Amino acid sequence: MPGAWLLADAKDPHRNGVLKTMTHILLRNRDIADIWQFDTYVANGGYDALKRAVNDLSPDEVIQIVSAANLRGRGGAGFPTGRKWSFIPKDAPVKYVTVNADESEPGTFKDRELLEKNPHQVIEGALIAAYAIQATAVYIYCRGEFWDLALALEERIEEARQANLAGEDILGSGWSCPVYVHLGAGAYICGEESALLNSVQGVLGQPRVRPPFPAQVGGGLYYAPTVVNNVETLANAPWIILNGADAYKAIGTPESPGPKIFCMSGHVERPGNYELPLGITFRELIYDQAGGIPNGKKLKGILPSGASGPVLRATEEVLDAPLTYESVAALGSTLGSASFILMDEDTDMVWAAAKMTHFFRHESCGKCTPCREGTYWLDTIYERILRGEGTARDLELLEKVPQQIMGLVLCALGDFACNPVLSTVRQFRDEYEQYIGLAEPVAAEA
Amino acid sequence: MTETITIIIDGQDYQVPRGMNLVDAAKMHGVDIPVFCHHPKLEPVGMCRMCLVELGSLAVNRETGQPERDENGQPVVRWFPKLQTACTQEASPGMAVRTDSAAVAQARYNVLEFLLTSHPLDCPICDKGGECPLQELTMAYGPGQSRFIYDDKMHLAKQIPLGDLICLDRERCIQCARCIRFCDEIVGDEVLAFHERGRRLQIITISDPPFDTKFSGNTTDICPVGALTTVDFRFGARPWELDEVASICPHCPVGCNISASTRLDRDFGGRKMIKRIMPRQNEAVNEIWICDKGRFGHHHSRSEERLTQPMIRRDEEWVPITWETAYREIAAQLARHGRESGFLAGASLSNEDLWELRKLARLTHADCSLGVWPATMGGIEQVTQVGVGVGTRLQDLGPDSAILVIASDLDEEAPIWWLQVKQAADRGAKVVAANGRATKLDQYATVALRYPYGEAVAALNSFAVIARRSNAIDEAFVAARAEGFAEFDASLKGARVPKPYAEAAQALLGAKDLVVFVGGEGVTLAQHGELMQAAANLLILTGHAGRANNGLIPVWPGANMQGALDMGFGPQATHDLIAQRPAMWIIAEADPVAEDARMAEVLVGAEFVALATQFMTPTAEKAHVLLPVQSFAEREGTFTNGLRRVQRFYMAQTPLEGTLPAWKVFAHISSSMPGGAKPRIAPGLVMRDITQHVLRYAEMSYPNLAHVEPQFPLVGGEDMYYGGTAYSNHGGLGVQWATNAEKEKYSLAVRPVDVARPRLDGLAVVPVRLLYDREPLFAPSSIMHQRVPAPYVELNVRDAEALGIAEGDAVMLTADDVQMAAEARVNSHAPAGTVLVPQRLGATPIPATLVECVVQKMEG
Repeated sequence: MPGAWLLADAKDPHRNGVLKTMTHILLRNRDIADIWQFDTYVANGGYDALKRAVNDLSPDEVIQIVSAANLRGRGGAGFPTGRKWSFIPKDAPVKYVTVNADESEPGTFKDRELLEKNPHQVIEGALIAAYAIQATAVYIYCRGEFWDLALALEERIEEARQANLAGEDILGSGWSCPVYVHLGAGAYICGEESALLNSVQGVLGQPRVRPPFPAQVGGGLYYAPTVVNNVETLANAPWIILNGADAYKAIGTPESPGPKIFCMSGHVERPGNYELPLGITFRELIYDQAGGIPNGKKLKGILPSGASGPVLRATEEVLDAPLTYESVAALGSTLGSASFILMDEDTDMVWAAAKMTHFFRHESCGKCTPCREGTYWLDTIYERILRGEGTARDLELLEKVPQQIMGLVLCALGDFACNPVLSTVRQFRDEYEQYIGLAEPVAAEA
Repeated sequence: MTETITIIIDGQDYQVPRGMNLVDAAKMHGVDIPVFCHHPKLEPVGMCRMCLVELGSLAVNRETGQPERDENGQPVVRWFPKLQTACTQEASPGMAVRTDSAAVAQARYNVLEFLLTSHPLDCPICDKGGECPLQELTMAYGPGQSRFIYDDKMHLAKQIPLGDLICLDRERCIQCARCIRFCDEIVGDEVLAFHERGRRLQIITISDPPFDTKFSGNTTDICPVGALTTVDFRFGARPWELDEVASICPHCPVGCNISASTRLDRDFGGRKMIKRIMPRQNEAVNEIWICDKGRFGHHHSRSEERLTQPMIRRDEEWVPITWETAYREIAAQLARHGRESGFLAGASLSNEDLWELRKLARLTHADCSLGVWPATMGGIEQVTQVGVGVGTRLQDLGPDSAILVIASDLDEEAPIWWLQVKQAADRGAKVVAANGRATKLDQYATVALRYPYGEAVAALNSFAVIARRSNAIDEAFVAARAEGFAEFDASLKGARVPKPYAEAAQALLGAKDLVVFVGGEGVTLAQHGELMQAAANLLILTGHAGRANNGLIPVWPGANMQGALDMGFGPQATHDLIAQRPAMWIIAEADPVAEDARMAEVLVGAEFVALATQFMTPTAEKAHVLLPVQSFAEREGTFTNGLRRVQRFYMAQTPLEGTLPAWKVFAHISSSMPGGAKPRIAPGLVMRDITQHVLRYAEMSYPNLAHVEPQFPLVGGEDMYYGGTAYSNHGGLGVQWATNAEKEKYSLAVRPVDVARPRLDGLAVVPVRLLYDREPLFAPSSIMHQRVPAPYVELNVRDAEALGIAEGDAVMLTADDVQMAAEARVNSHAPAGTVLVPQRLGATPIPATLVECVVQKMEG
């Protein structure tokens, strides 16, 4: 049973950031040299899933299998992928699949590895999604900085096209679906699906009013019904089609099945990507897999989802919690794209929060007043505090201004920007108080 | 009609149209939901977050399908956990809204606090101060104090010219995108955009030349802060010092309702002066928009070049005389020449001016010819029969409508009509743009029909042929109303119709409503009469006459050509006069010498020419007596627009000393004549005379014309946050006169039209009209000069090659006896064999109609 070995392997010793004995589902490049090459990919079972889908399964059957596998979106929201595909109206004459490769979350670098080292699996996954909704075309939206990656990706797509796996009359089925690569211009907000669609269309990357949602007529790419999926999500699809929903669900937990790539960065011994089943604990991930904290320091703060999720204080309760969408939410944060930024006991949490706030001020698209003005305001408050000019009133504002942003704007960026502020003020209040002269340093927690 | 549904706002039931925007639906019933980015004429974007409300829906019992009720029998509402933007909601049955809760008040307070963190608060020097939605809403809903430390404020550029007419203050901008969306959605000119993001998000112009649209001024009206200001009004006055005077734009046949903002001004010797022109709401005419010519083209009214002294020519010198002497001189000359007198009226005279001129002519001799200038378009008979129906609102044209625009470049000749036709196309109306060349309307047209110049009548007539062949004839209407059908029908049989004409015709047929705009480009006067009849034939045949949103709209030159025709003046009379060469002429507010080369010779040959004019024009130089008359701004009167709506304008500016309104001048001359009556003391009394003598003006008394009714959307005053600073209408909505088609007793004439094409060898001149030209009423507005091109002609690439002419070459155009120097533009706008010649760009007159010409490259 594939699931069984994965769970077992998760506890195995490892070296150099790569599990020696582990077989990967997503990061197959770790196991098979040069799998980025078309011939190597095909020789290792590549495109068999697409062939199976197109030749043996109806679009609805593909959706059923992916729904049954309970594959949840790996971009951060964890929305069930099969359900997303099923929303697309069958009778729409034009439909699209858009692959979100705008990987911009601080601390996230999983999609990059997939696209660079195992690109055919992403292309295959996208084509399976496209087949499931009978899409007119696939657009892969890469962040602007993925310029070299995008050029290479176009070559991989051409290889697939020449093998009749993309483009006109795929595998003689009569269904045609070209795959295009589109480069962004370097904006975090374009990872938000409706801003991404605007960006593909060549207009300003700002989120749209919803409804209509992307899956609806009027809400998608060029206003046609559109599925927007993350790179990693789609990389799961070929395996699910070949091995079935039950095999997939055997990995991970019932609510959060499957493998997940965890991006480890910050104060960690072995930074890098780790493909592991959902459901392992924080401790297993951080200490067993990634080698723990350098220089024997203690872990203080964990950002489980890059800059956008609330910071968790590294308590025993947190370290023993399983990494699933539900349990991280129960801790008061989000699993998001599982991009772990670790901060050791010497980290200045006010400084860290200021960095993140500055990032969101820089990346706020400016469309909604509260986010545009609020991130600017928060950033100026942090600047003042870091200069040593902060006051008790500033600390109060750091708690109040976010209340005027969260949930009151078009997209989630406003909430993201407030998460590091609120979570650090609440959990590391003493550090803020030191900055504004209300407290003296205290001994670090045991 | 849209279905009416019930929604609950603040515990009260309201009936609203299903699907209507929630902010608009609430506003309709007097419930204010404050907004910055939402505008009732624009699509919602949900950006500013000012309109946050509590939103819910009535709980319905799943089993019974009945609304659930609480223990008190009140309906149970399921509320969203978070506040929602009202502007992105469409009214639906069972919708419940709270706009008056503490949470909503707090949300508004918070958004205003955010907006003010980066606002300069320079209200004391801001042009918008006093009529600023941000000020108003802050007073109503905002914080008195900010928790933001002012030293942290972001500083940005405060004087960025967005083109030559509009200035941007980046600090004041609140990024609502109303200006961008106006240009993109309403006009279709993608000239503004956002640049950068976050707090650095800023408005930029992305066109070259910058802010390249004819409607740029409207963005300043809907800007909810002082970010966009016009160079015309910038730092000119404070809004609360201004007196609003209702007026009508004097520049084109749309008849936009405008408001002149006036005050006693140092720059005008302490007299009352127009500081700016603003749109005045009339949803049946210009809605809340005006073009930049109307907004910025008012400077002629107090130009230094204005004439302020009656003068007589003695020994080739102009000698000042009193008005009395002028009246007596002209009366004496009229008595001497009797029926040997010709009368020529320009298209910017008011109806009252025209009526008094007509009375003067009738005193001289009952058969005196009453000519109009320019004499390029006729067809008052067809307008009388099937002019567009009373109650027409172009903004109501939509998916069920078809619009034909023929022989007109609407964008240049009547910009607001162009805007409305474009928006109708956006709403799904079928639009056929038919002309001898490409125009801007083509890109919105269902069919862009090209015919060879000279073939307009044939093209339009073929629409009737196709209507007949495809059984699109309204048999009942034709049987009941049409006269001469048998003969006309016979003329359609067997007519050959080229395929493009047939395709264009098919696009129009079958629509519920049909409006036909007829211009005069590339047709002779004789052909124009036939073109209007061809339009009337089509409208009668298909039953599109006698009701609102159906019928004929002539794209007249000038603001009051319709009024001139109504008062009995006509273009054929002008041509007759030119042929007869009378010994005496009275010309009013027209400059024929500048526009027609023959006229200089005709007037030089006359014994006596009296000219009522505001400026020393080329025609004035040929006159014997000059009568300095007043501009539209300095007096009262009425204009009749192309939809036959008679509209009042009021005295906005202190008249220049020494000038008089034209009607009074003519009345005084009359009273100096034998049998002449004493002049009326006010134009309203002149209009009373008109109502008694001109049947179609029977209802046009000043009180009737001043009647107003509530309009939606609300604008100005306390509603400026919602609809913008356009003024609501207090001066009158005007009255349209009804056509024969609307009166059952009249039959409507159809007849065969002459489709013969004038024979032209070699190159043909096609005069075209430009919005921005050098006509006397526009040239003094120097802020617009950058928009007026130097004289040019457009040649087809093939013709230019044959003549050895390249882009930018200086050329000499010779036609009849006219010679005109211009710059050559070589492109594909001009069809092969034609030269497009814009009118009134230079001092030399150009041929006014379709004639042969020679174009030569000038050496050196």
